[in-house]
Amino acid sequence: MKPVYIAGAGMTQFGRSEWTLMQLASVASLAALHHANLGDIRVDGVVVANMGAARVNRQTALGSALVDQLALYPATAESVENGPASGASAVKIGVQAIASGMADVVLVTGVERMRVVNGLEGTDFVASLSHPEAEYIYGVTLPALAGMFARLFMDKFGVERKHLAMVAIKNHENAAKNPYAHIQQTVTMEGILTLPEAAVNNPPIAEPLHMFDCCPVSDGAASLVLVSEDVAAKLGGPKVRVAGIGQATDTHAVHEREDPTDLKSVRIAAKTAFDRAGLKPQDVDVVELHDAFTILEIAESEASGFFPRGEGHKALERGETRLDGALPINPSGGLKAKGHPVGATGVAQLVELVWQLRGECDARQVKDAKVAYACNFGGFGNNVVASVLQREA
Amino acid sequence: MSGKVYGMKCNSCGTVSYPKHAVCPDCRNERFEEVAIGGEGKVLTYTDVYALAIEYETRYLRLAIVELDDGIRVTGQLLDDEPKLGMRVKTILGTVRQSGETAIQGLQFVSV
Ligand SMILES: [Zn+2]
Repeated sequence: MKPVYIAGAGMTQFGRSEWTLMQLASVASLAALHHANLGDIRVDGVVVANMGAARVNRQTALGSALVDQLALYPATAESVENGPASGASAVKIGVQAIASGMADVVLVTGVERMRVVNGLEGTDFVASLSHPEAEYIYGVTLPALAGMFARLFMDKFGVERKHLAMVAIKNHENAAKNPYAHIQQTVTMEGILTLPEAAVNNPPIAEPLHMFDCCPVSDGAASLVLVSEDVAAKLGGPKVRVAGIGQATDTHAVHEREDPTDLKSVRIAAKTAFDRAGLKPQDVDVVELHDAFTILEIAESEASGFFPRGEGHKALERGETRLDGALPINPSGGLKAKGHPVGATGVAQLVELVWQLRGECDARQVKDAKVAYACNFGGFGNNVVASVLQREA
Repeated sequence: MSGKVYGMKCNSCGTVSYPKHAVCPDCRNERFEEVAIGGEGKVLTYTDVYALAIEYETRYLRLAIVELDDGIRVTGQLLDDEPKLGMRVKTILGTVRQSGETAIQGLQFVSV
């Protein structure tokens, strides 16, 4: 496999947007292309990640549509729908194209415009990734799966609601330093947990998870420019290499997993990514995890190999995962506060990490970050993509 | 009541799987017979979910994963006012979702 570099990264503001799906995708793409400063080097291919456009925006074949927006014909075009893991899946496909020698420059853009429908429709379109006969018909939604997971996980490892709140407080604090974040407001333990008003401010969504344990519903897009070694050399500037990508699947119905608290697909995807990179979790300086629900940040921090099983909440409590801790997790604010435009998320995680590795994150910059890791968690863990990025020179 | 819930019993290794797959997850055999799923068991986990999908008029749904005594696990609706981890329940069949004119039948759990 040939080495693959990320030459540019850009995104839109996450939140509620008046822009169309293609406006969002175009703005993020142009930001990434300008960041890469390609000059007269052509884009060979475009991969667009998205989950819900066919249903909520009544638009399909987004790859071709984006080529047209950016006037990149006759570049190749693909669209990737892989649930909440669509973003990193699309990146993987772009990386494969360059690693195989079939392309030198690939633009990968994740986009979602889901606030155009009401909450019920939005929740339902995401819930349609659950098992149709064994889960969906019972009213299973992603929050429901997360709630059942959280209750079991918390009971088994002694995780308390205050730990979940610590994830939210940390990620909101980070997002307040991220101009692209959907929610730029800090929260306190008193406000979301301990004061009597917290019962009103922070109502249950899927017990034991409350509103401040769940990511917001966001519109947004994020984009990366992937290039071959030759192109990276021509461009000069900071070199961020895709050191390794791993992916793993698991049973569709969550109840079929031998131990439903074990995120086996995260473990396998992370190990594959680290093995391919020739690196270890201990080498990582900065991390973006898929905290669609606070409990997932804790569980993924263990399954990815950063902390032993059952220890993630203790590391969190010790402050190790804060921006100034030994292993900052979700400096961007995570899905929790940066927002979660589903198909864009896996790309946006890597956008943040590219900026971190290039030292472009201002107030939320992790010092001297050289190795970065992201976990894009699809389904409820039935399809996970893990990525390791490394700064060279 | 119609609409029993079925899993698959592998003709080769005898493993019962629910939900069905086209291939036995244990031995990769492709032949199986349908077996009705249900009986007594214990609540492995549960939630009260307020973030509902379309087609529900209720404020929240109480959902659970139950481990049946034969080792099969099922997801369904828990009809009990005092849910607890590990509580003993049995399965019944009831309307779990109303989709237009169609009342979809599925597993519900009541305490024993
Ligand atoms: Zn078998």
